[in-house]
Amino acid sequence: MNAAALSRAERLSAISKLVDDRPDEQFFQVDRSIFTDQSVFEAELRYVFESTWNFIGLESQIARPNDFVTTHIGRQPILLMRSADGKIGAFLNTCRHRGTVVCPFKQGRQKFHVCRYHGWAYDSSGRNVSITEEGSGQYPASFTNANHDLVPVARLGSYRGFIFASLSPDVPPIEEFLGDVRVFLDLVVDQSDSGEVEFVPGASTYTFDGNWKLQFENGLDYYHFATTHSSYVDILRKRNATAAPDAGSTVEPKGEQEGQGSFSFDYGHAVNCRSKRAQLYGRPLGMDPARLDTVRQRVGSTRAKWMLRQRNLTIFPNLQVIDILSAQVRTWRPIAPDKTEMVSHCLAPVGESAAARTMRIRNYEDFFNASGLASSDDNVMYEFSQSGYAAAAAGPTQGYLRGAGDVGTGESFHTRELGVSPTEWSFGPTTFGGETNFHPGYREWRRLLQRAAEQATA
Amino acid sequence: MSGEMIDAQRVAAEALLREARLLDRGDWDQWVAMYQDDAVFWVPAWLDEYDVTEDPATQVSLLYHDARRGLEERISRIESRKSITALPLPRTVHQVTNVEASSIAPDEISCESVFSVYVYDPRTAKGHSRHGRYQHTLKRHGAEWKIARKIITLANDNVATVLDFYSI
Ligand code: FES
Ligand SMILES: [Fe+2]
Repeated sequence: MNAAALSRAERLSAISKLVDDRPDEQFFQVDRSIFTDQSVFEAELRYVFESTWNFIGLESQIARPNDFVTTHIGRQPILLMRSADGKIGAFLNTCRHRGTVVCPFKQGRQKFHVCRYHGWAYDSSGRNVSITEEGSGQYPASFTNANHDLVPVARLGSYRGFIFASLSPDVPPIEEFLGDVRVFLDLVVDQSDSGEVEFVPGASTYTFDGNWKLQFENGLDYYHFATTHSSYVDILRKRNATAAPDAGSTVEPKGEQEGQGSFSFDYGHAVNCRSKRAQLYGRPLGMDPARLDTVRQRVGSTRAKWMLRQRNLTIFPNLQVIDILSAQVRTWRPIAPDKTEMVSHCLAPVGESAAARTMRIRNYEDFFNASGLASSDDNVMYEFSQSGYAAAAAGPTQGYLRGAGDVGTGESFHTRELGVSPTEWSFGPTTFGGETNFHPGYREWRRLLQRAAEQATA
Repeated sequence: MSGEMIDAQRVAAEALLREARLLDRGDWDQWVAMYQDDAVFWVPAWLDEYDVTEDPATQVSLLYHDARRGLEERISRIESRKSITALPLPRTVHQVTNVEASSIAPDEISCESVFSVYVYDPRTAKGHSRHGRYQHTLKRHGAEWKIARKIITLANDNVATVLDFYSI
């Protein structure tokens, strides 16, 4: 082993240790530099984002032959498309000739993608169908014998319409990667009678000047809601005082305990849930009692109850699905240690009524994104956190221990109801806002960096 | 040019410049009073490189309010001094130009214009610009003209951090 490899292994191992996780001592801490350090940032892009499954789109985004969308895995541009004969493929969006981005558009439908630089052409299955003036090219055998197709991702998988891809082949099967988080995706998808979800047209892209992990944490953070979003809560209360009966508010069945908690899973995933007797906002599923009845008959009263509870899913490393007053799918793309680009979609069950759909859209615009009354506050908070992280001399923060004094393991009433086996769970009053649900993401982050360190010395 | 045409151009230009000034000065009560009760305030989203959303009932907009109340809520949120997006409030300068107005009915004016808004955030000492097109519909109520509809097509829709009524 050479000195460079050894020092790379040592560096990666040192980075992985910035997450200090000692469950036996009920201790968890992360070093501030994971939010600010350029070498940490480069390591996590390569060994976290570009070495595991990432969510890259919905099957319904490319419903018809030759449909495509473009996205990223970490830094790397991805072209996701459906071939003429209906097969889904994901490719690195780069021309085999000289690297030019083959498809520069967000989405569309095209049988062929012609590189604008020298005109090489690819079909919607990624196959190279033309090399411009190949005959007069005086190519050597090393070229003629080479494959010129778009390079596919190493692994592609999907679950109930959610498509995931990995640039590394060294990942578990998608079913194992998602594990019991699938139960929570089912709770979203099964709100549709046909079991299909779609993005409502009109995606939103925005940035904040902060590290991507601020969004990762915030999506699992109920603790901040009452303070950060107090101006929004004021508005909701005022609206509720005069709300019409079709506002979609639902009530918990009698005897249910109010509270909030989380479930942690392998490979970095976690889910937050909240049950409250008096809800702050209505739900599209709740606005039409007849439809809710139909869904309840189809999925059973227990799962219908969970469908009406707020659920925030984090599927590590790049996806959050939030199902509350509307449903949001958001992904993040790290641009720099202190810059993140978010892409956000309104998610909807196929087949809901026109009125429920419009309510879903209004509620989504109201809450989410840079223009929403809640998420905009989060975005600014991330920037304040990022500025504060510069105070390295203050040492590690204390934001990872709410709930660590009473972590649940094994079965609980909730895990039995849902039929899930989380690695850990938490539950507390509605003011609880536990932070142990950040731990699985950081544990997976650390595992991937440690694995990279081991492979560097192998 | 007919007398009616000249009048539309003058009425629209006055309204647009007044609106820009009220927004930049934070005179939001006066600003929102320029809108009818059932005014539509709409910022469509871009579907792809070329087209924006056309139907707020079935597509997601960046911002969509179909009553003045929605704008009043946004104002109250900022004035509550509880929203961090306004602590401190970014400083804005609206420039509105290329105004082309026409009468479409005796008491109705339709107007196209372009805008650029320079946003400076004293929190970060950073600035950026927002730019695009406005389409106003103005309606006469007695002696007063009110905004019945404003559509804002935002050209640079990769939004930095916060997008609100005062910064477009
Ligand atoms: S780079 Fe694509 S054809 Fe040359
Ligand atoms: Fe939030």
